[in-house]
Amino acid sequence: MSTVKDELVSVKREDSEIASVGNAGNGVVPQNGTGAIDTSSVVDGVAEEQSAVENSNGNHAAAPESESMGQVLPEQPDLKIIRRQISGFVGFANLPKQWHRKSIRRGFNFNLMCVSQSGLGKTTLVNTLFNRDLEASSQVITNAGNGDMSEKMEELKIEGETEPEAKVEEEENVTSSVKIKTYFTTIEENGVTLKLSVVDTPGFGDAIDNTGSWKPIVDEINYRFDQYLDAENKISRSLEEDNRIHACLYFIEPTAHFLKPLDVEFCKRVHQKCNLIPIIAKSDILTEEEITLFKQRIRRQLDEANIEFFQPPNYAMDDEDTVKASNALYEKMPYAVVGSNQLVTNVEGRSVRGRSYPWGIIEVDNANHCDLVNLRDLLISQYLEELRERTSNVLYENYRSEKLSKLGIKQDNSVFKEFDPESRQKEEKQLHEAKLAKLEAEMKSVFHQKVSEKEKKLQKSEAELFARHKEMKEKLQKQLKTLEDRKHQLEVSLSNQAAQSPAQPKKKGFLR
Amino acid sequence: MTIEAESMGAPVASGVQTIGISNLPNQRYKIVSERGGSFTMMVCGESGLGKTTFINTLFQTTLKHSDFQQRRHLPIKRTVEIDIIRALLEEKNFNLRVNVIDTPGFGDNVNNNKSWQSIIDFIDDQHDSFMRQEQQPYRDVKFDLRVHAVLYFIRPTGHGLKPLDIETMKRISTRANLIPVIAKSDTLTAQELTAFKLRIRQVIEAQEIRIFTPPLERERESDLNSNQDLAAMEHARQLIESMPFAIIGSEKKFDNGQGKQVIGRRYPWGVVEIENDNHCDFRKLRSLLLRTNLLDLILTTQELHYETYRRLRLEGNSSGTEESNSSSTVPLRAPARKLSHNPKYKEEENALKKYFTDQVKAEEQRFRQWEQNIVNERIRLNGDLEEIQNKVKRLDEQVKSLQLKKR
Repeated sequence: MSTVKDELVSVKREDSEIASVGNAGNGVVPQNGTGAIDTSSVVDGVAEEQSAVENSNGNHAAAPESESMGQVLPEQPDLKIIRRQISGFVGFANLPKQWHRKSIRRGFNFNLMCVSQSGLGKTTLVNTLFNRDLEASSQVITNAGNGDMSEKMEELKIEGETEPEAKVEEEENVTSSVKIKTYFTTIEENGVTLKLSVVDTPGFGDAIDNTGSWKPIVDEINYRFDQYLDAENKISRSLEEDNRIHACLYFIEPTAHFLKPLDVEFCKRVHQKCNLIPIIAKSDILTEEEITLFKQRIRRQLDEANIEFFQPPNYAMDDEDTVKASNALYEKMPYAVVGSNQLVTNVEGRSVRGRSYPWGIIEVDNANHCDLVNLRDLLISQYLEELRERTSNVLYENYRSEKLSKLGIKQDNSVFKEFDPESRQKEEKQLHEAKLAKLEAEMKSVFHQKVSEKEKKLQKSEAELFARHKEMKEKLQKQLKTLEDRKHQLEVSLSNQAAQSPAQPKKKGFLR
Repeated sequence: MTIEAESMGAPVASGVQTIGISNLPNQRYKIVSERGGSFTMMVCGESGLGKTTFINTLFQTTLKHSDFQQRRHLPIKRTVEIDIIRALLEEKNFNLRVNVIDTPGFGDNVNNNKSWQSIIDFIDDQHDSFMRQEQQPYRDVKFDLRVHAVLYFIRPTGHGLKPLDIETMKRISTRANLIPVIAKSDTLTAQELTAFKLRIRQVIEAQEIRIFTPPLERERESDLNSNQDLAAMEHARQLIESMPFAIIGSEKKFDNGQGKQVIGRRYPWGVVEIENDNHCDFRKLRSLLLRTNLLDLILTTQELHYETYRRLRLEGNSSGTEESNSSSTVPLRAPARKLSHNPKYKEEENALKKYFTDQVKAEEQRFRQWEQNIVNERIRLNGDLEEIQNKVKRLDEQVKSLQLKKR
């Protein structure tokens, strides 16, 4: 009966694991065979997953915080800062001087917007301020308020919610026909160059219905902010070109009464987007008392409407006189100005810029006659750089924050953290430990799983081996028993036969 | 520019000479004075080259004590770390926030391969951090530790630059303003120093290492302060010619033999004066770092190194994706930086992996044994069965023969 051997072979085939057992018997162990645990793949797999988790943590860590608006600084590490006053000459106190030189080398730029109804002497005033004929000496770019602008705006507005509304308004504005005209010129004075651009808005306030006539102007201011924002977000960028409006001169008609609704409305729209400097135009038709009263009224009106205009800052290092002067500059606003580039001879016989009336001569550069000198101090000689600073640090930043937030960009405050090697090391250590712990746990679980799988397989094949053996043995023993019985029977029957025939005992004897 | 304006017929009136434009630089001066400044400097070099002393000499105040007990007498065994001194210094009512980054332990190991990594990581990290802050919608307060200047201290061997120096300087120079200096130059004679400087300059040139040089800015011909500018250019040229600066540090004052108290080092053969151009280049270096080119260092960092870093990061991120086509109004975001490269962490990770590999091996060994046992058992059982089978066979034969007999 050869079936027994066949049975054993089939046991082997049933379980491939045991097949390798056969090989093991030959002394060859497959390293990465089906039976062996592939350590490298376990370890790598876990490591990859780990790094992926880290990345997603990095991106989403601050997501819940960003719901709160604005910049909220996270907890800062406690750092020691040494404070010293240096008595000798180390030299870093030269930094302002270095800036002084550098600023001359790089030059300055200033973008001034002038908004006025026609007939208020805007052109004359600007020419008086810069002491030149701007229209004659400048390169001019004209934007027909709506045509060009809406094209530009389309490029810029991505998914702002205000878009459909804005478009409708723009179409309405076609009737108001406010244009944007920009004059570029470069002025040099004692080796200092100023790239000046004056943005004129002809047509403002000239229509019968002036509703929305501020729109092209506000659009222009926004457009210039957007332009700068785009430049700032470019991969390769140069932020030298700055077209943002640094100051807005608003001309008030010298009525001596009150601001008109259009004046207030315009100032409201604009005061948080650019440095607003309201001025009383052609103030030579008002008496001193009228001007004082008018100024008070205007300030009260603007105050009631919560409109702020540019306030020159005080410096910590300023002496008393300077502080007084800068405060006075603010007190005198809105400046009552008269423009003229005409030379007239005054009573002292000097040739001055002014206007000659039968009752006298108004000298524009005389602080007793009008506030032009103050305006020039504020706008150019004292605070031009501050106007630029405020535009850049406050007005533009506010515009940008609002715009980006509207576009759904989340604030991640966790990046605003003072760098500290110690806490950094701690953080990294924690991250590292967490990573290790996770790695270990994962490898452990994979390891245990594989080990127990393998154990089970071996136990199973062991059990099967025994079971098979038992079964086989029982089968054989049964066979044996049957055979023994049969033999016994045969023997019995043979001995019976022998008893019957005399020849039989001989054979029986042989068998024994 | 002036010609253009004049030809256009301006100015109109001569009654007023100025309209105030010439005062604009003064406005800037005032704003900067009011605000103060911030300067971050990194000192980099093996221990014992006088980095700490130099910092104290430069700012004429003890910002950091040389830590005798802590470091010098302990056997050197450390990885490179980052150490930051933060100070708010006031000179003539001008405030400067000074951050000095020290990298103790750089180059102190037997195998210094990659020991520049934490220096490079630090510089990159600061650029990265600033970029992330700048991208936020609200960013009024920003923390800025971007490194404006890296002083690389060269050991005064008189021979040349070591491969570690070259490799490290190469990497720094693409990220920050690199200023190599010859440390403790009082160990070299004037002749040796000249030769050493020349050799270093040659290597720097051959290896295309870009070191910071003061700009030789040419003013417009017609300028009023051209005399002043000529002097400035001459000064800058002198600075460039003296590179790499040979320096000596000291915080002590001595009589220089002419009755004057000078900062220096006293030897039996004489007193080395730190602030003497014939003795060393300390004054030149101070001029470059603070007195004349501090702003250039700051602006170059902002406009060149930071912009380069930013560009590379964002380019690497958005290449090929649709992001590069979309409007640039939305700030681009770079992927999060990986954990800084810490060899210890890598080691620990590997140890853990090895532990498991060993365990797996042990288990495999156990299984192999187990399998062997099964094989043996099977052989034994097969033997057992065979025995019975043989018995069966024998019986079978007996039965067969009995059957035959029976017939």
